[in-house]
Amino acid sequence: MRYLKWVVLVVLTIAGIIGFAEEVLPGVPRNEVIIIEDPTGRSLNPTRFNLWGGGVSSWSTGIQQLCLGALWYIDPDAGIEGEPWINLLAADAPLYNDNKTEMTVKLRKGIYWSDGVPFTADDLIFTVETLKNHPEMTWGAYMQVNVQEVKKVDDYTVVFKLVKPNGRFHTIFTVRWSACYIMPKHIFEKVEDPVAYEFYPPVGTGPYVLKSYDPNGYWFLWELRQDWERSDLGVAFGKKPGPKFVLYKGLASPEKKVMDQMAHQLDIIHDLPPEGAITLHQNNPYCVTWFDGWPWAHPDPTLPSLIMNHEQFPYNLKEVRWALTLAIDIVQVVLQSYNGCATISPIHVPPTGKDPEWYFDKIEPWLKDFTIKIGSETFKPYDPTIPTKIADAVKYAYGYKVPDDPAEIRKMVGYGWWKYSPDVAEKLLKSVGFKKEKGKWLLPDGKPWKISILCEAATRSVMTRAAAAVAEQWRKFGIDAQIEAVESSMLWTRMNYGEDKDTIYWAWCIETWGGHPDLFWFLESWHSDYYRPTGQTVVAKNPMRYKSEKIDKIIDALRQTDFFKDTDKMIDLGLEYIKTCVEDMPIIPVFSYNVFTVCDGYYWTGYPTAQDPYTDPVPNWGNTRFMFIKLQPTGRK
Amino acid sequence: MKDFLRFIVRYFITRLLISLLVIFIGVSIIFLIPRLVPGANPAEMAIRRLQMSGAYLPADSIEKMKQALLKLYGLEGSLLKQYTTFWKELLKGNLGPSFASFPTPVMTLIARSLPWTVGLLALTALISWVFGTVLGGIAGYRNKGLWVRVLEIISNAVRPIPYYILALLLLILFAYVLHWFPTGGAYQIGLTPTLSWTFVKSVVKYGFLPALSLIIIGIGAWFLNMRNLVSNITSEYFVTFAHQMGLRDSIILRSYVIRLAMPAQLTGLALQLGFIFNGTIITEIVFNYPGLGTLIYTAIMQSDYNLVMGTTLFSIVAVAFATLFVDLLLPFIDPRIQYVSG
Repeated sequence: MRYLKWVVLVVLTIAGIIGFAEEVLPGVPRNEVIIIEDPTGRSLNPTRFNLWGGGVSSWSTGIQQLCLGALWYIDPDAGIEGEPWINLLAADAPLYNDNKTEMTVKLRKGIYWSDGVPFTADDLIFTVETLKNHPEMTWGAYMQVNVQEVKKVDDYTVVFKLVKPNGRFHTIFTVRWSACYIMPKHIFEKVEDPVAYEFYPPVGTGPYVLKSYDPNGYWFLWELRQDWERSDLGVAFGKKPGPKFVLYKGLASPEKKVMDQMAHQLDIIHDLPPEGAITLHQNNPYCVTWFDGWPWAHPDPTLPSLIMNHEQFPYNLKEVRWALTLAIDIVQVVLQSYNGCATISPIHVPPTGKDPEWYFDKIEPWLKDFTIKIGSETFKPYDPTIPTKIADAVKYAYGYKVPDDPAEIRKMVGYGWWKYSPDVAEKLLKSVGFKKEKGKWLLPDGKPWKISILCEAATRSVMTRAAAAVAEQWRKFGIDAQIEAVESSMLWTRMNYGEDKDTIYWAWCIETWGGHPDLFWFLESWHSDYYRPTGQTVVAKNPMRYKSEKIDKIIDALRQTDFFKDTDKMIDLGLEYIKTCVEDMPIIPVFSYNVFTVCDGYYWTGYPTAQDPYTDPVPNWGNTRFMFIKLQPTGRK
Repeated sequence: MKDFLRFIVRYFITRLLISLLVIFIGVSIIFLIPRLVPGANPAEMAIRRLQMSGAYLPADSIEKMKQALLKLYGLEGSLLKQYTTFWKELLKGNLGPSFASFPTPVMTLIARSLPWTVGLLALTALISWVFGTVLGGIAGYRNKGLWVRVLEIISNAVRPIPYYILALLLLILFAYVLHWFPTGGAYQIGLTPTLSWTFVKSVVKYGFLPALSLIIIGIGAWFLNMRNLVSNITSEYFVTFAHQMGLRDSIILRSYVIRLAMPAQLTGLALQLGFIFNGTIITEIVFNYPGLGTLIYTAIMQSDYNLVMGTTLFSIVAVAFATLFVDLLLPFIDPRIQYVSG
């Protein structure tokens, strides 16, 4: 990675002078095709588009962005028309009966599948019944557990009878990155085995059709439907998508992505290490990033954290978890991991989308007063000035231009974090029997305290760097801390079993909608009903094996709320959850998952940015579908 | 004829049986290892992949889905039952479905990548070996001269460069600066693979830079190896004696020196050809080139037992038979090597 800047500079100097004129697609003018990175790289089975049947290598080939449609979308940012909740295939939000045992869905009229067949209630019913009969299919088990019966009222109205009251049933059909898409009945009803069926060529309600693909799985080319007005986007918004062609292309090497975009041969890069994105921003006059300057990146509604298994001593002790938190200098972590471009969070909600308004603004006064008691002493750990400290450090260390207004800085890098207070951390540890000898911490039984931070390796270099920064600070504090960088699947496998001794995981288990305040989406699996002991793989998102009666009550109460009407109540319950978590510190929240999505404005304009946050620009999200009606050609050839 | 039969019975069959035993043990090990790795459960991995990528799988359905997937993947029975089923299917040429790309058969996935890997790596391995060996042999024998020094300097300069950097430099120079070659892929986007001249021309053009990067690295290694071997042999007494006998240089080089240096080079080549089934992941990443490297990497990362077994099976068989081939070939080249039965 240290070669990256050097490589890029050589290319910039020479290629900038010579120019670049490679034809991307024979016979297709470059200004009619938008080229987007598929972060999966290579699709091993490129003809498989059956997302319901599973085994699809990449969901970021355009299949969920351009082709298949869902009933509803929640945008992680502001939403295409200023409202994050979007009815796409559905005409309206779902309607539940009073006891939440029935859900009625009204569908949009006038939508046609890409092969000319009308989209109707039969498609939705067929999708649900097929999935219900096949628990091995992607959303099959959920349908089997939750749906008692699905029936047609008319061609555009469907009623679900649920097995038990469930006011969140619709979320399975609501895209946050993805969701259960609707099957074309007229295709799948002729298929003997819906799991084995490849679904090639794919038929969708979206505005594009697959034109060609690489049998080796490196690219997928989509063409705008001639009848785009009858597609889901066409019917819902009436606007023609700008690009005539969309090419999703797998690229694994970050250097190559930078070089391709400098040569205007790659319009949207999914993610880059910070220095790659910053280099592009500094050298490509057409570069478009979420923030037009520091901190550049888009904060995804995902919260990378330090996750401790509460069944492994000493992480069952709240004092230890808090001591570790206070032994972290967050400014240094942000500088060393994200080159100062992270969006920090002291609480167990990512500071992204509309969450700052719903949660951060409301909880901050409480945070300022929050007090930790150590024997007879008290300590207020929250520091609201940390964003300014980060801005100052960034200005000094990297020379980036940063705003002077603290309010602006908070919008960019978050609200605040916990004070770097090794002295208080020391008192907390001593209060539970830890000892410090010759500058090194010993466990209450006299053995040296060792920590290995298990983190992702090269695939997410910012996470490796962040883990290294935390380990360095804990070593400085007197803990024998190291990092162990492994491949992504190893990290998640080991975390989900939780059997590693002396290990803290750098990963995430908190993800929010961004565009809706309901936390039930990720929080449900923290309920003790779903608790699994160490050695058994966790259910969904509770790898810390946290059990709390208070949290159980909050989840039970959230379950009773109306997703569409009880906004204030959901926020109040969310605030209760945050307070409980701050007191218990079940995991140490660090920052949101900032994605350096870099767009090239040479051929296309209208990308989402912090100034116009109509959707998430990160192209593997299904929500990026709405970007295509905003993207328009610049006129350059 | 009698000698030939004795060779077949006493040597060839014994060596063949040893090779088959090696394959059996190798395949059994790769069957067991993924199954014994804690947490490498394909059903859980499939669910985790969906969750990690952001798909919503509510808590109350996960256990049910896991059981359904295990049943679907045929992983419900005991290890012994799975093992016997595996051998039965393997002997029928069926490696089963890939779990991560279910239900795509493993053979289909391998068949898509294999031609690219074999085409690129076999060709570049042979070209590198021929040029490296010939040039190294001459350089080692005629240890003087400007061109020998130049070749040595180039080989020694190239060898320590990390392959990733070398490949990237070639890409920058020839693709991004000079625009002589494309920036990546196996052929022009939009072309359909056929046996047409347009497609073949595109494959050659797109394969040139990956091939060049492998040849540059390969030639240097073979050159230095051969040069060192030949230099050592030329200082042997029998070579000095041949010179004193007044034999021509060409005869000494061909019959006394090269012949004795060849076993090591041939063994190296055979093993390298055997290992090409492992693919070359860095080449594939830098040049967006399809091949077995990314397939194997993905298989391991996703605990795709069947795909791991399928890809490594090719490598085990190839290395075992390459070794057998070399064992049979060497006595014809080096008179000091004799067939002796096990």
